[in-house]
Amino acid sequence: MRLHASASLPLALMAFALASHSIAAPAPAELNSPPQARDWADLARLPDWSGVWTFSITDQERRIKSDPVPWKPAAAAQIKRLDAAEEAGNPKGLFVNCLPEAMPSWMLITHNALEFLFTPGRVTILGESDGNRLRRIYTDGRGHPPDPDPTFHGHSIGHWEGDTLVVDTVGILPQTYIAVSEAVGLPNNGDMHIVERIHLVSKDVLHDDLEITAPHVLTRPWKTTRIFFRQRARKYDIVEGVCLQGSFSESTDADGNAVFVPAPQTEAGNFVPPK
Amino acid sequence: MRSTGPVIGALAAWVLLMGSLLASLPAGAHHSFAMFDFNNTVTVTGTVKEFRWTNPHVILLVNVPVKSGDPQVWSMELTSPGNLTRLGWSRRSFKPGDRIQLEFNPLRDGKHGGAFRKATLLDTGQVLTSNLREAEKPGLK
Repeated sequence: MRLHASASLPLALMAFALASHSIAAPAPAELNSPPQARDWADLARLPDWSGVWTFSITDQERRIKSDPVPWKPAAAAQIKRLDAAEEAGNPKGLFVNCLPEAMPSWMLITHNALEFLFTPGRVTILGESDGNRLRRIYTDGRGHPPDPDPTFHGHSIGHWEGDTLVVDTVGILPQTYIAVSEAVGLPNNGDMHIVERIHLVSKDVLHDDLEITAPHVLTRPWKTTRIFFRQRARKYDIVEGVCLQGSFSESTDADGNAVFVPAPQTEAGNFVPPK
Repeated sequence: MRSTGPVIGALAAWVLLMGSLLASLPAGAHHSFAMFDFNNTVTVTGTVKEFRWTNPHVILLVNVPVKSGDPQVWSMELTSPGNLTRLGWSRRSFKPGDRIQLEFNPLRDGKHGGAFRKATLLDTGQVLTSNLREAEKPGLK
């Protein structure tokens, strides 16, 4: 569209004023460009990870033995105590507060299904617990921010090497657990860096090869793999999973409204039946 | 008219119990199952009192008759609604009053709780199980 001269002059002056101003101002904000038709078409060339992916508790447990966590001595002593407590039937509930299992434990010990969404410039992993799990993996070529706010799932960037998605994650809260079960694991204590190589090993079996560097608790990067199985039956569609809902009972208030009221639980997180 | 004395007494005990529990409680219940004795399987017959179809653990409360007095309430813990849906369950799998035979691994501390293993609805013969380890492969129907 052409602008009339009467309109274009003030705009040109405004542009000049902005350009002059920007000399002293910070760099303009980076923008997420709108995807073009080609960006959407490119998604069709990625491997097919559609469907819902379930987990193998048996394999999770086997890998803890085959790929033992290289805990530092002080961490190993704590793990020994947690193992003993679990063995004795008095498990420390790492997640009874319903905070997210977070990275890397979501990938390591999940008992809940997940799914992948591919959109231009991003892979999104959605899960089914914690009040609905979510990882955003930017594949648009950006780097990590220089000083990311620490979060439960960190800041993830990814790129494709053939049919393998390579994901690099930093900026994870120091409190997130490196867990080997729901009762055994330690906070990463900061500066954790996770590299994952996610790829199909057969038509319906996906591997996540993880390399977890956590210098405050591990002697060296821990390499391990987790297995996921593709399901296409619709009963596997991901459903809402709000962890804290179990901490409440359905009730009716004095005005007849449907409300939640706290439900009694033991310290270990077991529901206490009404007397 | 029934005397209100026992009711008020029971209510007071309940309020005290709730108070003491809530004072020391964590917020939620996404927990390990190591507190259950998986070497010990108990079978009882009872009546469904309540079926809580919620994350992170579905709860089945069962009234189990005892030789004298009121029935005991046992609390069975299961996996999530999503996982149970895929094993053929729904939020209508049990309703209060259903008579069931129940198999479970009891809490090791002797309290009236357990990890659910299997239930048979005595009026229909329907059997429900919840073993996720039997579903560790792709392409499940």
